[in-house]
Amino acid sequence: MRLEVNGTVHELAVADGKRLLDLLRDDLGLTGARFGCGHGICGACFVLVDGQPVAACTTGADEVAGKRIVTIEGLAQDGELHRVQRAFIDEDAMQCGACTSGMILSAVSLLARTPAPTEAQIRAALAPHLCRCGVYLRAIRAVQRAAATP
Amino acid sequence: MNDVGEWGRPPQRLEQRLAIEPDGTVVARSGKVEYGQGIRAGFARTVAAELAVPIERVRIELGETERVPWDMGTFGSLSTATDGEVLRVAAALARRQLLERAGARWRLPVDSLHVRDGAVLAPDGRVLSYAELVAAEPLAGPLPEPSTLVAASIPEAKPFRPEARAIVTGAARYAADVRLPGLLHGHVLHPPRPGSRLRMLDATAARALPGVLAVVVDGDFVGVVAQHDAQALAAAQMMTAQWDAPPIAGAPFEAVLRDDAGTDAALAAAARRVTAHYHMPPIAHATICPGAAVADVRADRTDLYVATQRPFGLRDEVAGLLGLSPARVHVHPQLMSGQFGRGNVGDAALDAVRLSRAVARPVRVRWTRAEEFALSPYRPPLEAWFEAALDADGTIAAWRQRVRTQPHTYGGADVPAEFLLMTAGRNALPPYRLGRARVQLEVAPAQGRSGAFRSLAAAPNVFAIESFVDELALAAREDPLQFRLRRLDDTRLRRVLETVRRRSDWDARRHAAGHGFGVACADYGGTRIAQVAEVVLEGERIRLERVWCAVDAGRLVHPDGARNQIEGGIQQAASWAVLEELPLHEGIVGAATWHDYPIARCPDAPHAIDVVFTGDATQAPTGIGEPGSVPTAAAIANAVCDAGGGRRRRLPLMATVRDREQAPSP
Repeated sequence: MRLEVNGTVHELAVADGKRLLDLLRDDLGLTGARFGCGHGICGACFVLVDGQPVAACTTGADEVAGKRIVTIEGLAQDGELHRVQRAFIDEDAMQCGACTSGMILSAVSLLARTPAPTEAQIRAALAPHLCRCGVYLRAIRAVQRAAATP
Repeated sequence: MNDVGEWGRPPQRLEQRLAIEPDGTVVARSGKVEYGQGIRAGFARTVAAELAVPIERVRIELGETERVPWDMGTFGSLSTATDGEVLRVAAALARRQLLERAGARWRLPVDSLHVRDGAVLAPDGRVLSYAELVAAEPLAGPLPEPSTLVAASIPEAKPFRPEARAIVTGAARYAADVRLPGLLHGHVLHPPRPGSRLRMLDATAARALPGVLAVVVDGDFVGVVAQHDAQALAAAQMMTAQWDAPPIAGAPFEAVLRDDAGTDAALAAAARRVTAHYHMPPIAHATICPGAAVADVRADRTDLYVATQRPFGLRDEVAGLLGLSPARVHVHPQLMSGQFGRGNVGDAALDAVRLSRAVARPVRVRWTRAEEFALSPYRPPLEAWFEAALDADGTIAAWRQRVRTQPHTYGGADVPAEFLLMTAGRNALPPYRLGRARVQLEVAPAQGRSGAFRSLAAAPNVFAIESFVDELALAAREDPLQFRLRRLDDTRLRRVLETVRRRSDWDARRHAAGHGFGVACADYGGTRIAQVAEVVLEGERIRLERVWCAVDAGRLVHPDGARNQIEGGIQQAASWAVLEELPLHEGIVGAATWHDYPIARCPDAPHAIDVVFTGDATQAPTGIGEPGSVPTAAAIANAVCDAGGGRRRRLPLMATVRDREQAPSP
């Protein structure tokens, strides 16, 4: 099957029932999407499929054939961080980092759709991502900072 | 380099702690580990300030057992207060030695020289880099006591986390991300209770599955190794076993923490008595990434890539399991998702070691979310009974308190009494003038696997004490914050209370419909902390609006990192208090997914958490990682009562419609 990941087109033989998360982590070595629960509840494994945030752990690899996938590894361009990545660093909107990839990708998707989101919209966009360290307020500020960054 | 020092105290020599590499990089070493607390950043800032080098030129090595000095473990909010101070002293001694070496070369007095940007400068403009000064002879020598050296002031700077770029680009490597050549994947068939004996096993179907390379049965251990993770998991789930659960080990432990003569008589004679019973349920660490490890067991050495808070304890445990010298076991702690005590036990690492030994190949074990809930240790329930006597003028004349819980540490029946006391009894003694008091602690053996969770029993003890003190204030018709101040002697604790009073505008607080305010405070290991919470009741829903927090943790080495820890502690503890209860029946966990154990999500976060530090820069630093979580539940429960939601003596606060158990008597 054929799919585009972070701008590169791959032709892969994929076993039946393979999850997108396993394909990314095990076959392509892209481990930035984290395994958290396997049920699509915690948000640690989120990637963008045609710009939409989805849980890679409950998405079948066959469902994304021909689609454009962006993982956390694909956000920076030529070593230049995406403004959302930069904002998460500037606000230190992380502790252990387990939820960070997913939060950043959901924020990128939100800002693409809604360039000037309200705080409620930001909270809703980050709602799928469980953070045990408790950096939610910093993550909200990071998304606000990114939205204000040209 | 990793000889064990005096128990609980790492070796204290400069050459074990700090080295300057030929390119000028300063390497500092600690046996502590990083799981999001930001200690790598704090250590780097400390060393950079003492040695006057740019922070980018400092590399902190954490927990690599081959290269760092022995350490007991990363817990108790001690990293900055203890090992951070050791690194500070190491860097200060290094600076002094570098100055002395430069002075000797130039024949100039040391006090005429300066350090800047990784080099020593002479008044005439000559420069010797640190690298040049150590080229012939590395720095070495015994470390002086921290108290003998004044700390360099650390410049204010932007938030700095050495791991940040790797985290936001996905390059950060966690244990589950480690890939070794020839890596296989394993899963283990765990009994419902640890320590169960295997009575019967049927692995016939599992062996026949594609990709399965080995079914490993070793005593009561049953595991499977396969080419891919999904194959190993399917095989493990296809095996059936019967187990004999172990008897509950250990005897109840009882201690009297305080016993004043005449307590009972003073209670009996009191003008007014107040009694209450509080109950805190078991809760789960609920770490985001389930336990994972890669083990590579070979004849000559074993390497372990893990999430652990006790790299040396794990090393020794694995060495014992394999019958090897600890020097042949090398633990490589990876970046780990927030552990909060979870990582004190080996778990997935021990699974991986047994499987790797059996197949003589590197094996990764990654627990499922269900395994993580079912098998990882939990914070045990805690109950507290109080009875207090108030004089006519509101003085607390007598106080009787009984706390019943289970071990807040690991080790079952083998835990020494002083450990039970130090963990289950943490913050069980109120900081107030109590009159005549008796405080008793009872630690019953756990049916399941209770263990250490952020602040140990301090958070539940403080929830109970600070809720009860609020009840006393109401009974005495006094303002709850003023009531506390009037009965506290500790000036630092008084100061954080005064500070949240001001920051929250406590005396002018307005009670809009459904709004309430609550206060609570604690002295956790020397860190004084007070919080005010504002809540809104919306029907059965409790919405946390805002939290004000004042903290005195002495000198701060990384102010924004400290703020992040306190904010996170508050957020996590708000989740415990409002939402969390681990379903547990006779020691068996009844949660398998996040649906069974919801924790706070972004929309649940308060509007703001205001944190202010009142510590004195001349005071040694105290802990930051745990204290933020300690007073939060009581502040919220007190606010709920203030809002008209009634006194909630049972957590979680949102479980208002659950059937209440009959309160057991003390």
